[in-house]
Amino acid sequence: MSEFSVVGRRLPKVNSWAHLTGTAKYADDIALPRMLYARLLRSPHAHARVRSIDTSAAERHPGVVAVVTGRDMPEKMGIMPSTQDETALAVDRVRYVGEAVAGIAATSEDAAFEALSLIRVDYEPLEPILTIEEALEREDVKIHDEAARANVFKEVHLSFGDLDAGFASADHLRDDWYFFEGNTHAAIESHSAVASYDGDGKLTLWTSTQVPHYLHRELEKVLGIPRTRIRVIATPNGGAFGGKSDPFAHEFAASLLSMRTKRPVKLTLDREEVFYAHRGRHPVKMRLRAGVKKDGEFTAAHLQTWLDGGAYASYGIATTYYTGALLTVTYRIPAYKFDGVRVYTNKPPCGPKRGHGTTQPRWAFECTVDKIASDLGLDPLEYRRYILQPPNSRTVNGLRITTMGLGECLDAVGRATGFSRTHRKLARGKGIGIAGSAYISGAGLPIYWNAMPHSGAVVKIDRGGGVTVYCGTSEIGQGSDQMLATVTAEALGVLPEDVHVVSGDTSLAPVDLGSYSSRVTFMAGNATMEAACKLRDQLLSVAAEALAVPVERMTAALRRVYDSAEPAKGMSFVEAANLAEARYGTLSAAGSYTPPKGIGGDYKGAGVGPTPAYSYQAAVAEVTVDLDTGVLTVDRVVTAHDCGRALSPVNVEGQIEGSAYMGYGEISGEEQVFRGGLHKKPSLLEYKIPTSLDTPKLEAIIVETVDAEGPFGGKEAGEGPLNPVIPAIANAVFDAIGVRFDETPITADKVLDALGKRDNRGVPKDRIGPSGLAEPKRDPGGAKRRLGFSTEAREQRISRVTGVETATGATGPGPEPGEPGSGSR
Amino acid sequence: MAVHVARDVDDATRAVAVDERAELIAGGTDLMVEINFGRRRPGALVAIDRVQELRGISRSGRVRVGAGVTYTQLLADDAGSAALREASRSVGSPQIRNAGTIGGNIATSSPAGDALPVLAALEATIVVRSVRGERRVPFAEWMTGPKRNGRARDEIIVAAEWESAGPKQTFMKVGTRNAMVIAVASLALVVDASRRRVGVALGSCGPTILRADRAQSFAAGVLDELGWERQAAPTETACAEFGALVASAARPIDDVRGTAAYRSHVLSVMAARALARVAVLG
Ligand SMILES: Cc1cc2nc3c(=O)[nH]c(=O)nc-3n(C[C@H](O)[C@H](O)[C@H](O)COP(=O)(O)OP(=O)(O)OC[C@H]3O[C@@H](n4cnc5c(N)ncnc54)[C@H](O)[C@@H]3O)c2cc1C
Repeated sequence: MSEFSVVGRRLPKVNSWAHLTGTAKYADDIALPRMLYARLLRSPHAHARVRSIDTSAAERHPGVVAVVTGRDMPEKMGIMPSTQDETALAVDRVRYVGEAVAGIAATSEDAAFEALSLIRVDYEPLEPILTIEEALEREDVKIHDEAARANVFKEVHLSFGDLDAGFASADHLRDDWYFFEGNTHAAIESHSAVASYDGDGKLTLWTSTQVPHYLHRELEKVLGIPRTRIRVIATPNGGAFGGKSDPFAHEFAASLLSMRTKRPVKLTLDREEVFYAHRGRHPVKMRLRAGVKKDGEFTAAHLQTWLDGGAYASYGIATTYYTGALLTVTYRIPAYKFDGVRVYTNKPPCGPKRGHGTTQPRWAFECTVDKIASDLGLDPLEYRRYILQPPNSRTVNGLRITTMGLGECLDAVGRATGFSRTHRKLARGKGIGIAGSAYISGAGLPIYWNAMPHSGAVVKIDRGGGVTVYCGTSEIGQGSDQMLATVTAEALGVLPEDVHVVSGDTSLAPVDLGSYSSRVTFMAGNATMEAACKLRDQLLSVAAEALAVPVERMTAALRRVYDSAEPAKGMSFVEAANLAEARYGTLSAAGSYTPPKGIGGDYKGAGVGPTPAYSYQAAVAEVTVDLDTGVLTVDRVVTAHDCGRALSPVNVEGQIEGSAYMGYGEISGEEQVFRGGLHKKPSLLEYKIPTSLDTPKLEAIIVETVDAEGPFGGKEAGEGPLNPVIPAIANAVFDAIGVRFDETPITADKVLDALGKRDNRGVPKDRIGPSGLAEPKRDPGGAKRRLGFSTEAREQRISRVTGVETATGATGPGPEPGEPGSGSR
Repeated sequence: MAVHVARDVDDATRAVAVDERAELIAGGTDLMVEINFGRRRPGALVAIDRVQELRGISRSGRVRVGAGVTYTQLLADDAGSAALREASRSVGSPQIRNAGTIGGNIATSSPAGDALPVLAALEATIVVRSVRGERRVPFAEWMTGPKRNGRARDEIIVAAEWESAGPKQTFMKVGTRNAMVIAVASLALVVDASRRRVGVALGSCGPTILRADRAQSFAAGVLDELGWERQAAPTETACAEFGALVASAARPIDDVRGTAAYRSHVLSVMAARALARVAVLG
């Protein structure tokens, strides 16, 4: 029998019924009396000066109640206080196609939409910068005037240990270039916000956000009203994956429009707009040099990353550091150098997507590890096991490692698939690949400097035995409400169904920093546990007294408080609660959590990477490559994940499987790509997230290491399991056809190219990928010409269709129609 | 926007004749996308999804499939064409197949319309009707360009008809995923053993659905040798040659879904596989 009554049991998720029956209330389901509907006008230019905006015709349009533009909210904002370079709506420059420039509230969504075409924006087009290479070189075109060098947003250089000596003592060297293509979250719920400014001057914003607390701060700054008069409620999110963790234009626009009109205002993005809101996976070019001994032991590693950040900062500073920070926590590396550069380009801003900044270098690193194994004739599983970073150790870059289950994970996936027996022995076209990885259970530092807890929770017991937990976490489908209910129920000895969860509300619940960096279980879990345990102590002590049993022997489980030595001796939870209330007064307690000090280094840049506990994972992928059509089929993905302890195993398995699905999508075809600054496929029909028919057979294995600092031993499970899947598939493709894909995604077209079958003149290749930074194209003005053409074509189409002589880009950008002769619909 | 729900074909033809801003809507799976993207703003709609006359499939002699027949219906009720079944199965998702109609596919005339290569390979006839009367158009003359055809605004497609061609037929499609996908390249192959005729048609490989005439004659030659009615596999060389001839009929371009080179290559592979598959069917 388990020592727990709730933790580790396969119970249904607390809010699953509402989700399954369609009664869950998302932001867009909210309808308030007198509510107005708002839409945003978006830039058709990738880069342009905004000379003037004339909204008078739009204001006269029937149904329109208010119009706002960037000048109404000129305050700089952004998620990271040190790099705030955005405004709620563009003020005098637009920096990507799809950037919001104005908002309209009207009595119907159609009226608001129609009126968009009546806003006249006078743009002066500027040349857009669209590639990493151009961004690094072009001093003459600056996307942000503040950038010191060309269009470099951030540059970091870190070095640990003796790199030169390390490389000098190596028996074998590798030097590989990689490119990870950008992609987006594609959460099924599009972003939505409802703002309501009432007669008392108080603003309530219901919004699909992962970060109600940070948004609360930004609303105060941009709207110029004190936080005391703002309440942010994070509605249940229909998926988020990092895409709802910035403050967004639509949240400010809905708020200001509500303040102007004194009516509730709803603003829901359509699917196309979600692709422009983005903040997804950065395209990253990488160079990874590695030195190893004959047995594969690392002597040194040098990673360089170039991140294509898009038009704004978002979490960019953190992302840049994350591309380097976690490389050291899986395998022993005695000397390590990291150089990271993030540039601005005229594309939708990139930000955090599941695995934030670690996914791209992890893929590259695990491919390099696979290559080393192959060079040295080692079994890739055994090899990884041999070089494991030990538990309770420090990495060369100062990161504290505690529990470390990567070895068990590798063993588990190896056993489940017979990896070592099968690898390199399959028929051509069939392959099996493996990879390991790690992630954080929450960032060690908050986004703005402060000495307060990262998470707070309040637990309250009512007289009927009902329990309520209040915590500022945001439920994004990952199961944070389930986690809060599980921890509270376990600590108090009730069942999750007895617990009411009040989360994501800045007025009702104590601050939790938000659902990002997989921090919620560890941090909010610990805060909740502290609060619940205070009440538990009160219940046990009154019950002990009433039953005349020593308090150390008392325990609580399954709605009873009883003597563990003689379980029949006890009372119901309600009785204990009533006794306790009579003794102590209202039963309510608070808890908080702050990560320990000293878990990272003390150099500049050491703030990114430390966490109270790393999660570890390994995956094996089995693939089939059709040698004639180049089509890659992933038959099976088995992932093992060390989550410390699985508080809710069903939920952990869901996260593992969902991560494998998402990772499969990223390597098999998802890409956020552009033509002259225009998004090529801003729709779910053309942006290829896998369907159920494509999805491999997914298997999840839970590995438990029971972390001493985690709540009941738990660590994260939300992001890490994605990381090993992508390199495992890439390595399996190598096993199948002997080609290294040092570039994502792996499309059929590229496979055929590699096999030398794309055209009659093709020659087989042993790798597909970059071999350096490309020479920037010597075609100044070219990008602008290309863009100007497509923008013009689009406008002609818009005016043809609507019959309205549109101001530039009036209805916002749309996907390009298929050119004559194309195969498009 | 006014919506007229037509009771029968005559009602519908009158409704589109009297209001020149009116457009037909069947399943709406093409039209609503156009409306939502602001590409089209019909002044009025005439809904034909309740017109029973358009929803029948008959197989007495010639096969006749009403324009209002959905893909789901084509999967449930046999219209005597395995290729059309396979094509229907590959359209969109269950929701799209429940709503989308073959008539809508014919009217939209996208080079990627999945029913269209099959109709071309079957040498189907499109039957259209208006207040002026009925017209019958061979599929070969139907499409005039990408999303263009000879239908007058007030004409309603009532059915597609063809001579039953027997069991030797197939449809293949390559896309960038296995469902909810617009074809990167598609191919229909029909071997009508009783008429000694081979039909090959390509989708997503040019401005209209293309026929591969040289490949058709080549395959006919192969079947003359193998025996049309028999279930015998052609040689690999013959299949490869057929594949190359099919690919040479394509006029593909590069676009977001695939490159021209990939389209050509994959067509040759699909065609070779299609011939090998069809020859042994019986
Ligand atoms: C998500 C999605 C996925 C899709 N996937 C595929 C796919 O895989 N393969 C594929 O081929 N297509 C696909 N489509 C396109 C579409 O579903 C098909 O073209 C379908 O056959 C259209 O039929 P409908 O009845 O919905 O047409 P509607 O949208 O109702 O009409 C389309 C056009 O045809 C006209 N029209 C309709 N019926 C008639 C008639 N009887 N006479 C004259 N004109 C008529 C209408 O006026 C309109 O202009 C997809 C669409 C979506 C939205």
